[in-house]
Amino acid sequence: MRPQFSIIFFTTLAGMAQGLLFFIALANLHSQATPSAFLTNLALPVAFVLLALGLVASFFHLGHPERAWRAAMMWRTSWLSREVIALPAVMAVTAVIYLYARFSQVPQWLWLALLFTTIALWVCTAKIYQCIRFIQEWSHPSTLTNFILLGMTSGWILLELLIAAWGDASVQMIDAPLSIIAFLLLFLSFNLKLWIWTRNRKLKPKSNLASATGIKGNNIRQTSMGLMGGSFNTREFFHHQTDKVIANLRKIILLCAYVIPMILMAYAITSPNFLVITLALLINYVGLLAERWMFFAEANHPQNLYYQRVS
Amino acid sequence: MSKKNKQLALVIDLNVCVGCHACVTSCKEWNTSGSAGPLTDLNAYGASPSGTFFNRVQTFEAGTFPNTQTVHFPKSCLHCEEPPCVPVCPTGASYKRKEDGIVLVDYDKCIGCSYCSWACPYGARELDQERQVMTKCTLCVDRIYSETLPEAEKKPACVLACPTSARIFGDVHDPESDASKAIEERSGYALMPEWETQPANHYLPRSIMETIDAARNDK
Repeated sequence: MRPQFSIIFFTTLAGMAQGLLFFIALANLHSQATPSAFLTNLALPVAFVLLALGLVASFFHLGHPERAWRAAMMWRTSWLSREVIALPAVMAVTAVIYLYARFSQVPQWLWLALLFTTIALWVCTAKIYQCIRFIQEWSHPSTLTNFILLGMTSGWILLELLIAAWGDASVQMIDAPLSIIAFLLLFLSFNLKLWIWTRNRKLKPKSNLASATGIKGNNIRQTSMGLMGGSFNTREFFHHQTDKVIANLRKIILLCAYVIPMILMAYAITSPNFLVITLALLINYVGLLAERWMFFAEANHPQNLYYQRVS
Repeated sequence: MSKKNKQLALVIDLNVCVGCHACVTSCKEWNTSGSAGPLTDLNAYGASPSGTFFNRVQTFEAGTFPNTQTVHFPKSCLHCEEPPCVPVCPTGASYKRKEDGIVLVDYDKCIGCSYCSWACPYGARELDQERQVMTKCTLCVDRIYSETLPEAEKKPACVLACPTSARIFGDVHDPESDASKAIEERSGYALMPEWETQPANHYLPRSIMETIDAARNDK
């Protein structure tokens, strides 16, 4: 598939915000009340801006953004439609929590609502891809797990950064250094990615030219796709990059999304440092952009069987 | 969907398709000027022209020399009985008609998100670059129900254009239709049955391939 930059930015930005909100909600549900000033002056505005940026990015995916409101109609059958409802729901709950934190106490049920909506948004986003049964790279529970784990990882590093920036020990959520959790999340998502790549490499395509054309006989090959100048089919479903670009990008993903942030976090466990955490977050985000790019690029669509050769 | 309902479809005879692309051009001609159009062309006279088409003719080869076969293979929307492109549409623009099984796009509701095209294993949908809405074969719905065309012309444009009668149009749920009989008598098959989309369009296999296989087995 062709990597879609609008979706790459949307899923990484919103994913990070969801991770941040998820852990704040979790901490508050676990009787660890976050200071209101930290919420209203830093954490919630940051989360809201990230979600809003993601929302803006997602509009660039549409041919007719002015009709975007229609996308909420088919929530009974379409995960995309459900996502279109879940994203504003997360933003609305965030906004309501902001108001409560500003003017009174945040009730427990709101934290529960935040926890629920952030998870719901992850499920909707991942299911958009996972439910396409013939894209075998996507059609597996690891798609959902990967979206959630990477969102949690980047969200946790962001939370750690915000706490470091706040500089007040009262917002510290757990007794252990936050970098330990960050390291563990990075390590888990790193292993999941390796597992997904191994799975993708071993996948046997269910469709082939024999099933796609029904032609009997051996050695079936295309001699003409019936057009010479390209079409939607040749643009939308191929990544148009060389093997070398793909191989290099895999290295960048491993280093930026996982390995370098892990090293930085290991360092931050013993000597917490604002600069190190900032660096870890930025490098991790660059890695996430590449990871999401590759998520599209490595998805093989069966329609590509029909678009192999120009003559 | 109950089998009693009408399901209009095309049956394509791979024995006689000569790959002339007359169905492609007649489809484009009718639909670019009809209710489904315009099917815009970009850079039409440039080095890499690109345009929207509902129908393509592709060419495949099979076998090993000297026993090879060239197969011309028209491909358009198969109007699946279980269309995976329909439930994923977030706006309801993509739908399957109950009365005759034609899968259509409501251009006024389409937001151009391309999700339905991802959900079609056959690559039957093309996003129109200029109009930014998803387009696809309509089975010439505006011809077959036309109130002005003569009876003989109330068929999809591709069917009328085909010089070898490789395209049979009819209701595949009606066992008495030419389309159903062709599928029944000549082992019509569906594309990519592994995804259980139940395409309504069928293809008639080349009988000459069976002859070649038989000859090879005799040796």
